[in-house]
Order: sequence, then structure tokens, then C-alpha cells
Amino acid sequence: MWNWWMKRMPDASGLIYEIEITAVGALVEEFTAEGIWVFFNEQAPQEVAEFALLHQARPPQQLLAPGQILSIGPERYRVTAVGPVANDNIAKLGHLVLKANGFGAAELPGDVCIEARPLPCPSVGLKLQIWPAWENIQ
Amino acid sequence: MSEKKYRKVKINAGRGGWGGPLVIEPKPGKDLIYSVTGGGIHPLAAKIAALSGGTPFDGFKSKADFSQIAVAVIDCGGTARVGVYPMKKVLTVDIHAARPSGPLMRFITADLFVSGVKEENVELVDEAYA
Repeated sequence: MWNWWMKRMPDASGLIYEIEITAVGALVEEFTAEGIWVFFNEQAPQEVAEFALLHQARPPQQLLAPGQILSIGPERYRVTAVGPVANDNIAKLGHLVLKANGFGAAELPGDVCIEARPLPCPSVGLKLQIWPAWENIQ
Repeated sequence: MSEKKYRKVKINAGRGGWGGPLVIEPKPGKDLIYSVTGGGIHPLAAKIAALSGGTPFDGFKSKADFSQIAVAVIDCGGTARVGVYPMKKVLTVDIHAARPSGPLMRFITADLFVSGVKEENVELVDEAYA
């Protein structure tokens, strides 16, 4: 299915947001076990960086929204909910709170919820990409 | 002795908020009003600094030791920053009406954390003391 979709998007021009992990904090493992990843840009203070994944990504080209597809390395997850302050956090601080809980409504205002499947082991260089919803692709 | 510059400030939970009240007492060497909100010093941090005589500080611009922080001001919905400063025993004021939650939930206690705070929830409680 994904290969079919990629063939229809050969120039990857639909890419909405891309994060490349540049640092993995010491406490990230605990958060990963709970299905949570917290991103910040590299200006984050040290105490915040301890539990965060850092990156240098520019703000997204368009707002994140439910139905979009998140890829983490080779894995694909559907975005199920985007909290009311999530896009603002991303624009302002590169701050993204990813929760693999499958919720259809964000529990907390900054949450970006995706399908409830285990998150992979995060590492420096791992890329996350957000793509348009399948049904919006012509 | 230089003239007294610090004043105690009490911070109450706002509408829908949780925890507190906290009393902020800046001291020489521990007087930073540490704003971890991005986009500069948050107006709430600026107000706490103005009332207490503490020094406003942007945590996203410069580095400071926890020992220098009188209070941290955050805008966290409840996953991460909400627990980091209480975990380090730093008094924490959250602009959002967050409740104890997230992986660091066990560190978030009413003597260290207050949320839903707006400028009207900040009051002067004491004369100058140090």
C-alpha cells in the first residue's frame, strides 16, 4: 500500500514536516516505554533535553491534522488527534508531544496522538516525516 | 548592606488549576524567575519578577543552575516540563491548568507546583526582607 502511494508521489512534494533526531536524552527510554516522545529544538535547556529528542527542523509547511501519516524510519502511523496548542508548540519551540495511544481526541492540549503501536528505539539520525492524509492525494 | 530589594509573592491556582499556593522568596544567588515558555520572558514571569524583585530569565536563551532559580514558569499541558522542575525540587508555576500527569507525575506535589495561573493569581504578601 505504501509503495503504491510512494509511486504516486515520486518527488515527495507532499511532505509536511520532517524531523531528524540530533540528540536523545537520558530519560527518553522511560517515556518511550509509555508510548510518548517529546521533541524540542536544540535551544531547549539541559533539564528539558534530558527527557527529550532534539532536532533542528524548521516549522511545518502546513498545520498538523488528524488523518495525516507519520513515518518513523520504516514504520507508518496514522495521526488520530492533534491538540489545540500542538501546532503552536511546534512553530514556537519545535516542541512536539507524540503519544502512541490511538486517541481520537487529545487528552492534553499539546498532544499529537498516533495509532497505538510501540514506538521504535530512538536514535540520532532517525527521521520522522508527516505526510498528507491518503484520501487527500490525487 | 544594600537596600532591601526582595519581596515575598504568593501564587494561587487559577481557574481550573491545581496545587499551591506557593510562596516565592527570591534571595541573593537564588533570585531567577526562570521562564521556560519560549518566545521570550512570559508576561506572567515578568509580573512575578516585578513584584518580587527577582530577575527575569529566559531558559531557552541562557543556562542557569537549579540552585539559582526562585521559581520556574512553564506553559506545559501536562506531559514533560510539568514534572521536570518539581523533580528537581524547583517551585513551578504552570500557565496551563495542568494536573499531575505524565511519566514524571509522582514528583508533582501541591507544595512545589501550581497551575492555571494568570496574572491576577499573583499577590504580594510581605514587606521587603532582604
